[in-house]
Amino acid sequence: MRALLTIATMVLGAGVAQGQMPEQAAWVPVTPKAVLAAAVAEVIRPNILQLDEASGGLDRAMEALCAMPSADSLAIAADQFGQVVRAYGAIAFLRLGPLLEDNRADRLLFWPDRRSIGLKQVHAILATEDASATELASLQGKSVAVQGLGALEFVLFGTGAEALSAQEGAFRCRYGQTIAANIAAMAGELTDDWYRPDGIASHLQTPQPDYSDYRTETEALEALVGLVSHGLEALRDKHLLAFMARDNAAARPKLAVFWRSDLTMAYARANIEGMRKLVAASGAARAVSDKQQGLENTIDFEFRNAIRALDLITLPVAAAVADEKQAAALSYLVLVTGSLQSIIGEQLSAALGLSVGFSALDGD
Amino acid sequence: MWQRRAFLQAAGAGFAASLLPRQALALDASELVFASAVQTANGSYGAVLLGEAGELIAGIALPDRGHDVTISRAAGRGVVFARQPGTFAVVFDPAGNAVPVTLTSSAGRHFFGHGVFSPDGRLLYATESDFEAARGVVGIYDATDGYRRMGEFPTYGTGPHEMLLMPDGVSLVVANGGIETHPDYGRAELNIETMDPSVVFIDRRDGRLVGQLRLAAGLHQLSIRHMAIDARSRVWFGCQYKGAPSESPQLVGHASMDGEIALIELPAETLVDLRNYVGSVAASTDGATIAISSPQGDLLVVIDAAAGRPRLVQTLRSGCGLAADGDGFVASSGLGEMIGLAGAKRAPQRYDFQFDNHLLRVG
Repeated sequence: MRALLTIATMVLGAGVAQGQMPEQAAWVPVTPKAVLAAAVAEVIRPNILQLDEASGGLDRAMEALCAMPSADSLAIAADQFGQVVRAYGAIAFLRLGPLLEDNRADRLLFWPDRRSIGLKQVHAILATEDASATELASLQGKSVAVQGLGALEFVLFGTGAEALSAQEGAFRCRYGQTIAANIAAMAGELTDDWYRPDGIASHLQTPQPDYSDYRTETEALEALVGLVSHGLEALRDKHLLAFMARDNAAARPKLAVFWRSDLTMAYARANIEGMRKLVAASGAARAVSDKQQGLENTIDFEFRNAIRALDLITLPVAAAVADEKQAAALSYLVLVTGSLQSIIGEQLSAALGLSVGFSALDGD
Repeated sequence: MWQRRAFLQAAGAGFAASLLPRQALALDASELVFASAVQTANGSYGAVLLGEAGELIAGIALPDRGHDVTISRAAGRGVVFARQPGTFAVVFDPAGNAVPVTLTSSAGRHFFGHGVFSPDGRLLYATESDFEAARGVVGIYDATDGYRRMGEFPTYGTGPHEMLLMPDGVSLVVANGGIETHPDYGRAELNIETMDPSVVFIDRRDGRLVGQLRLAAGLHQLSIRHMAIDARSRVWFGCQYKGAPSESPQLVGHASMDGEIALIELPAETLVDLRNYVGSVAASTDGATIAISSPQGDLLVVIDAAAGRPRLVQTLRSGCGLAADGDGFVASSGLGEMIGLAGAKRAPQRYDFQFDNHLLRVG
């Protein structure tokens, strides 16, 4: 651990030492109600809208690609795919209500796919030109693994994807177009749910004792803080550690999400930035007593460290894990996510008087 | 009841002495009644042994977060299991005469947090994961030979969680939660769409499947996790629902070795307050009532086992641990509280540690 920290200090430079924090601004505590209101208005709804918009663009780009296949239209679709991956990264940790209805989280991104179940199913659809995968309703009835971003990544970037720029890829394109339509449909449903009158947004912002989801501000705050704590854990366990070298085992970059499209770290960055925004814009770390006011800076300091580490990981993931400096930055990113999880899940929770982080919300 | 002896001279003394030195004097006069995994005030993990009045008798330091505790009077030992996907189990001497021993799960296996001794105390059974194959196993350990792992048999499902010994002393009942996890991905749930929970009865002598019970197909996302046995040898179970949060399926039911499995009808308002989550299940001393808890909903429910109807609903913030106590129950919480419930004559107490999900009453 000490060696790793030394490396991290080397790669990150001297400017991140804890003692070099800027002077703190005057302390302005906010109320839990304001935190909940801002979380929805400033972060959740805008990020959901961003996914809706990007998904619509991807849907149109796939439609254009299938109508007029070419290298250019394929490049546009691929670029639009990247925008959706980033937009999803910024909301993937919002694992409450709408994202958990109808298996949407798994249908949008079935990951990890430890035994390559999804990949095998996608291969089978392409090999047999399964027409039922090109109708939205029947695709939605299939395995979650063949109807979301993982499947579409294989269509656009996997073996044989070059066929998409010509007519010979017509079936593959129609399947991809149907997946894009499915993603857009789910993004639309998420938007509807988050904007529905008397829906989750108002319940989260203004909890009432007779609501079935959030009865008190404490319960709503627990949910909000839990999202970040658990989101950090998921990022680390599902999207970083899974492919990194550890315990004398070599790195396995093909276990990285979105390795084919080289969007692994873009997704991680969107995830980190989304969680940072949720904490910062909601003011969650300002709804504490003045004795705890240092938490806000501590948390943002660690988020900035995570982003600095991400800045250093510029190579595709297969090359990054083989590069000493970039592999060290990855390891440091893992350390920081652990530190952030502890600060938010334990220290911030305690400062807010929440029970998140122990038996209540990470059950067994 | 366990008789305490020289606990302070044993390895557990460090924990007891450093955590709450003023409690050490209570050791000689008290008897061990409750055990639970905890998180201490400084964030470290351990297990505590409590007396009848709730006084701290001793603590056992753990390398990481524990989950459930099992104790065998015949073996003269207790075991704290790591929370899934942990790889350790700590064997301790409740009398404080022997140094705790840490077991490590074998290669390719991790613990699920629960286990049970054979009636004669010679064997320890633990629910474990054969994670490469995504199948549950029962690890068998020889308590007479340093807890050497003798072998294993399948749980006939994925993600086994709590395991109990049936009153016949021969059958094990295992709750296969149905959820696949793999240590490469931490606690991430890998098969929510296709999960397949079940209750299984296994003959512990040869690992033979005696019976496997599943709920209706539409309830395949209802993870069966925790259990207790009533006066009629029925196995009461509590579930955690992994489907859409807007749905509120029934969460509590019972199964029997006769092959029956059924969910009971809890009122809609109670179900809503359980938040699709039951964290532990306990039976009263006479087996006539069953208590369930939801730390997510801050709710405790006591059920008349014969009638299959709730008798009492009570709130306890972050309440999860449950154990029989007098005519009722005692409940513990993730905020360090312990209260009496449903007729138990017990004043509420608060500790400077947080209770984990399960509270064991030492028989």
